[in-house]
Amino acid sequence: MSILEYNGAAIVAMMGKNCVAIAADKRLGVQLMTVSTNFQKIFPATEKCYIGLAGLATDVQTLTERFRLKINMYKLREEREIEPRTLSHLVSTTLYEKRFSPYFVEPVIAGLDKNNQPFICGMDLIGCRDVPRDFVVSGTASESLLGMCESLWEPDLEPEDLFETISQTVLNAVDRDCLSGWGAVVHVITPERVITRNLKARMD
Amino acid sequence: MRAKAEIPKGGFNFDNYRRNVFLEKQGLGLPKAIKTGTTIIGIHFKDGIILGADTRSTNDTIVANKNCKKIHYLAPNMYCAGAGTAADTEQSNALISSQLELHRLATGRQSRVITAVAMLKQMLFRYQGHVSAALIIGGYDISGPSLYNVHPHGSSDKLPFVAMGSGSLAAMAILESRWTKDLERDDAIELAKDAIEAGIFNDLGSGSNVDINIIEKDKVEILKNYAKPNERAVKEQSYKYKRGATAYLKEYVREFIVTEGDAMDIS
Amino acid sequence: MDAFVNRFKGSSTFLADEISMLDGFGSYDAVKEFSQPVFEIPAVQNANCTDEKSDSECRIKIEHGTTTLAFKFQGGIIVAVDSRASAGNYIASQTVKKVIEINPYLLGTMAGGAADCQFWQRELGRHCRLYELRNKERISVAAASKLLANMVYPYKRMGISMGTMVTGWDKTGPNLFYVDSDGSRYKNDVFSVGSGATFAYGVLDSGLDYELSTNDAIELGRRSIYQATYRDAASGGSVRIYHVEKEGWKFIGLYDVGKLHWEYCGL
Repeated sequence: MSILEYNGAAIVAMMGKNCVAIAADKRLGVQLMTVSTNFQKIFPATEKCYIGLAGLATDVQTLTERFRLKINMYKLREEREIEPRTLSHLVSTTLYEKRFSPYFVEPVIAGLDKNNQPFICGMDLIGCRDVPRDFVVSGTASESLLGMCESLWEPDLEPEDLFETISQTVLNAVDRDCLSGWGAVVHVITPERVITRNLKARMD
Repeated sequence: MRAKAEIPKGGFNFDNYRRNVFLEKQGLGLPKAIKTGTTIIGIHFKDGIILGADTRSTNDTIVANKNCKKIHYLAPNMYCAGAGTAADTEQSNALISSQLELHRLATGRQSRVITAVAMLKQMLFRYQGHVSAALIIGGYDISGPSLYNVHPHGSSDKLPFVAMGSGSLAAMAILESRWTKDLERDDAIELAKDAIEAGIFNDLGSGSNVDINIIEKDKVEILKNYAKPNERAVKEQSYKYKRGATAYLKEYVREFIVTEGDAMDIS
Repeated sequence: MDAFVNRFKGSSTFLADEISMLDGFGSYDAVKEFSQPVFEIPAVQNANCTDEKSDSECRIKIEHGTTTLAFKFQGGIIVAVDSRASAGNYIASQTVKKVIEINPYLLGTMAGGAADCQFWQRELGRHCRLYELRNKERISVAAASKLLANMVYPYKRMGISMGTMVTGWDKTGPNLFYVDSDGSRYKNDVFSVGSGATFAYGVLDSGLDYELSTNDAIELGRRSIYQATYRDAASGGSVRIYHVEKEGWKFIGLYDVGKLHWEYCGL
């Protein structure tokens, strides 16, 4: 078993038409035992930018706090909110700093920039950025997620359609993965609002 | 402590090392980083240098990105194609590129290719191959066009044509049979494309599209996705779910205050 | 049945030299045919293919996660199982039949390697049928379970993985045995087997009472499996319930855990 599989996670972000969505499951496990079914894996970085962390839970929480510090320091120094693209570089360098003793986390970033242009970004555990135009996945269910994304996703989805697409992607992917699931949360970020929904999912 | 959190010292940090060794001893396997698994090439032609790369990045047997960028910016007159661990090639290039920028600002002169090569190989040698970046650096400076490759352990070559990465054997076969001195621009682009395509088709670690960069005197042309031999078939049907298909238990909506037109005058 | 047996009565089919040490029924014996490999240490060689504990890189990762339970009560025996099959972390199926209907009076449950359980219980079924034909009487649960234990014992430490409960109703009444691939065979009133067994025991032990009504006993079995699927990542799918009574076993029902959860929640 890999360290990334110790706690289990499934995170996915998708691009829509002037909107982005990010979704994650809610399980915290210790190998095969489910410890919590309400574990937060997606954290708001700014008003219109969220970061999801899949991997070792202890590192997820440590990094959340480190990013919170860095994002706040950026805001104080620059007197403006950090842009999603800038945040992705910040996360990337934070991870690459520990190239030879990494945090066991694969982050996903989704947000709208100051011109409300959608941005999504995925990374490996040493900060190799991947900025696609469609979707990114991460976690123990990543292979199932990729399969779902490849078939369901299409360009220019409206917020409500994007919600259905990302929700069905995550729900069906975690149904084929032992280590993730037990509920899911979806954030759809639009220029006007963020819609957060807790999905009804299988609890096994 | 505060200063440490604000401004990173630079260099690698080994804080998690002992913990990670402990976790590994517990029988938890260490995860693999994304590799580029790559075909990259560089060739001299009559008026300059051509760099070529495929666009596949892999995470073990899974294609992590079908259209990634492997030709990185170093300086306005210089680009670098990278193979190996993706994070290493990207970060090494970013580091050297920023040092070159500062060097240009300090000296007021155009960067030289050999400077970048020296900086990269010294850095890679220092890390004894642990920073696994295999690079092809091409540029046009005061001494004309030049093309180098740098291996992960820090050795380098100056060559008329070069291929690196897992698909280098396939690409080199094409280059060896077809490269000649003073190739015309269009012929050189075709040769570069064919060499990369040989890698794409014959090496499983390489795939998708062909990226080409042409570096000439005071001119750089970037041909992202110059060839797309692996376009995905059009979906015959849409698998879009109907609105309301997903059941949810709770909903929170966070409305933003959107200011339309001019902001309120508060002066 | 008698007519069928009489036809073969006194035939040369049952000569002493054909009677195997193990059971001596019939001319074909899968146990004999299931030949042992010729190499030197079969135990080590075989275990490496399927045993995740001794070799994390083992090539065949077969079903390991399961929750199965069976318990005696005044109305007979309740057998309840989940229906998930996993290969590593991947859920291979949510609709597996983990109760094997050996014959109308005998049930076996499946935990561990799916193929191992299926093959050996099929083999057990064949032996039980032959016993019936020969002795004009149904085999006792004790004898059947001992047959199974003795069949798999010669293959100990060769990679077979099987944790099973053999239940049924015979002359002595309801019977419940646990048999595994290590060769263990136990008789008891309650058993739970598989990765989710600890979770199932938690519910089962707190609610167990010999005087339970049949409906309450079924509900206890269902709830126990449901709770195990909730906590154990390798268990899930549906709860499958059987009731063993005097007239043989009866299939009670199949309950999707995905729906069951919301019923128990009152949603």
